[in-house]
Amino acid sequence: MRALTLHLKILIAILVGIGLFSIAYQVFVLKIPVQEDERGNYWTIDAKIDFYVRGSKPVRVQFFVPSEQNGYLRYIKSTDSLLAKDYGSSIEEDAHGNQLLTLSSRRESGLQTLYYRLALTQRDSLSTPKQIKGKTWRESIPLTEQQQVATKTLIDNIRQKSLDTATFITAAIKAVNDVKNDNVSLLLNNDKTIDNKVNVLELLLSQAHIPIQRVHTVRLIRGTNQKPELWIRSYIAPTVVKSNSDKNTNKTTTATNNPGTWVYFNPETGKTGLPDDRIIWWVGDDELLSVDNGNQAKVTFSIDNSELAAKGIISQMAGQKDASSFITYSLYSLPIQVQETYNVMIMIPIGVLVILVLRNIIGLQTLGTFTPVLIALAFRETGLGFGICLFTIIVTLGLSVRSYLEHLKLQMLPRLSVVLTFVVVLIAAISLFSHKLGLEQGLSVTLFPMVILTMTIERLSITWEERGGTNAFKVGIGTLCAASLAYLVMKIPALVYFVFTFPGILLILVGFMLAMGRYRGYRLTELRRFKALLKEG
Amino acid sequence: MLSMWKTWKELKSRGIMGINQRNGDYILKYNKRKYYPVVDDKIITKMRAIEEGIHVPELYGIIETEHDISKLDSILAGRTDFVIKPAQGAGGDGIIVIADKFDEKRFKTVSGRMISHSEIEYQISSILTGLYSLGGMRDRALIEYRVTPDSIFNSISYEGVPDIRIIVLLGYPVMAMLRLPTRQSSGKANLHQGAIGVGVDLASGITLKGTWLNEKIDKHPDTNNFVSGVQLPDWDNFMRLATRCYELSGLGYIGVDMVLDKDQGPLILELNARPGLNIQIANDTGLAMRNKIVEAHIADLKKKQRVEAPEERMRFSQEHFAVNFNK
Repeated sequence: MRALTLHLKILIAILVGIGLFSIAYQVFVLKIPVQEDERGNYWTIDAKIDFYVRGSKPVRVQFFVPSEQNGYLRYIKSTDSLLAKDYGSSIEEDAHGNQLLTLSSRRESGLQTLYYRLALTQRDSLSTPKQIKGKTWRESIPLTEQQQVATKTLIDNIRQKSLDTATFITAAIKAVNDVKNDNVSLLLNNDKTIDNKVNVLELLLSQAHIPIQRVHTVRLIRGTNQKPELWIRSYIAPTVVKSNSDKNTNKTTTATNNPGTWVYFNPETGKTGLPDDRIIWWVGDDELLSVDNGNQAKVTFSIDNSELAAKGIISQMAGQKDASSFITYSLYSLPIQVQETYNVMIMIPIGVLVILVLRNIIGLQTLGTFTPVLIALAFRETGLGFGICLFTIIVTLGLSVRSYLEHLKLQMLPRLSVVLTFVVVLIAAISLFSHKLGLEQGLSVTLFPMVILTMTIERLSITWEERGGTNAFKVGIGTLCAASLAYLVMKIPALVYFVFTFPGILLILVGFMLAMGRYRGYRLTELRRFKALLKEG
Repeated sequence: MLSMWKTWKELKSRGIMGINQRNGDYILKYNKRKYYPVVDDKIITKMRAIEEGIHVPELYGIIETEHDISKLDSILAGRTDFVIKPAQGAGGDGIIVIADKFDEKRFKTVSGRMISHSEIEYQISSILTGLYSLGGMRDRALIEYRVTPDSIFNSISYEGVPDIRIIVLLGYPVMAMLRLPTRQSSGKANLHQGAIGVGVDLASGITLKGTWLNEKIDKHPDTNNFVSGVQLPDWDNFMRLATRCYELSGLGYIGVDMVLDKDQGPLILELNARPGLNIQIANDTGLAMRNKIVEAHIADLKKKQRVEAPEERMRFSQEHFAVNFNK
């Protein structure tokens, strides 16, 4: 590209500059996600609250909703909304940092259904939400005589197996889950539910003055009717190696300014750390839902990860009143149906770029310049495999009809007209047959692919007349390859998302195309073609 | 990958021109679009050449419409050999060469195939609808003098008429090639269809080695005779004709296709605004290298504010691009 003049260089620089700037602005200022990966991590959680009111009574519903403070940890609240007609709502925070949603109504009767919807996205933000501090000491829970004996043995045992608070808790959990142990059985009193296990655990740990909290989590997995999962957590100061053994006196507890961290435990396995796919709904011993004057109250969670993820976020941003004017002019502000069209259209330059590279740098021969892109677009409707088969069959048959008609010595125009008519009939027949055979793909040939196929046959048969069959075959194969490649590139979801979201990339493409306009180097196929020149020195 | 890079470097150092370079640095730069009709339409080329006093095969007649086809008889009256070709055809497609008249309604082609009057009419009709024209536009058919190749080619050609192409940059011939039809090219002098290209020394008109389907060859595959070392007769006249085609067409980068007629000597057949690159293999040298020499010479002349006459330009090329046979 040595022949770039200053004029062209400036033009390219301006185009690429504007392109890069708009992309950078979108990424860094508007914080639009660069990749669509966030699709899988965009969750909507619907909590449905049902209860029944006998007669006509004033109703008050209290319901925990996830708070920033307890954290979704790895998620960020995108939106939340409440569907509760005739109810007034207020939110307050309790001592555990929970958000308590209070809904009240003066007079309600019959079955009540309220919805709370939360939308979460995962973001790669390094800052973790601010968390409230917890206690590191608690009073022992008074025990019965029977319990005293059992707990003493257990705690001695656990102490031996642990070296700090965290390992102590883990060891305790393992002990509680060891149902064969007589002492544990005694404490559990034949109730092996997880709630009871946590009760026993709390009892045990309180003897060692270790406070724990119940954590009610919701698992981010598609489905309905999920019950909140119970975890426990304990606030552990970092530098403290809390030795519960009297012999370890050399390591004393030092008060530090370092904030402690909440460590989460699975009360069944003792594993620490909350998995990525959990969010904390509420913390503490309270019930999730309390309803005054209501019966049979229950909450059901249904969770879905939305298909529209990153796009959803952007659409929402575009829809907001205070949105930046830049984003309101993005393609996302268009109606969804129109967006679909532009999703296809905006990828055409990418396809053209593929053809440009294949022709001017590689040296592939294709039928015309943009026919391969059009065929690639037709493949969108038929699918690649079926598209290639269809293309091959129809083009082959079309060309054989053409060569038969040659014997009849018809003029060119009538002859081509016959060929095109035949192609239409052929496509209709294929559609019909594949439909009868139950292959719905045959129906995918709509007007668009049909027009493109007939066009291709016309051009190919002209090439055949002018340059001979071998050449037509070569060009046909080249076109098919180029079209398939263009199709595959135009189909890359991440690329489609990127181009659609950051149309500035198109300016950069134009810059590249302009530079290509001055490309004077060899085509790769020419290296082979001229190789004969280099032989024998 | 590495060997590709090496090939690239080597080709570059030998000044071999690629399609991108041809399109960008020469065709786009020197060939103004408005002059294209002169070369794309053989009738216009012919008229221009006649104006300039350049030898072309005699034009017997032009058929422009389907209705005109009825004029065919009067055009062909008394003629036994002639050529019918599309005015805007490329690469020798759509051409019929009639060598003899068999009876009232039938002719014989060069290859001895019998062709009826109605088949000729059909062919002309195909030409008129634009079957062979660039871009499928309506076309005209011309009927002209059939060139009888000089006997010098008898031993190194198979059927057809060999032609000579000279690439002319801004009026300076830079490279020449003799194109010999083969059985594979079915008598056509088109390299894409399997004709042989043989390099020609610009100074002497002696043939060099040949190329056939991108390969180097010495012998004609059909006659088995050596294609190199043949002295083309009347060479300076070929050079003169080619050189003057710059003034004739106004195009800066062209391939001039000529034939050597047994009786009339060198004749211009057609001009090509996008001459191919295989001529480089035939001459075993790069076009870009020679073009640079010409461009430098022109830049030099510009400084001196001088323009060279066709005769001077021809001498320059013959001096600078002579092949040293004693090497």
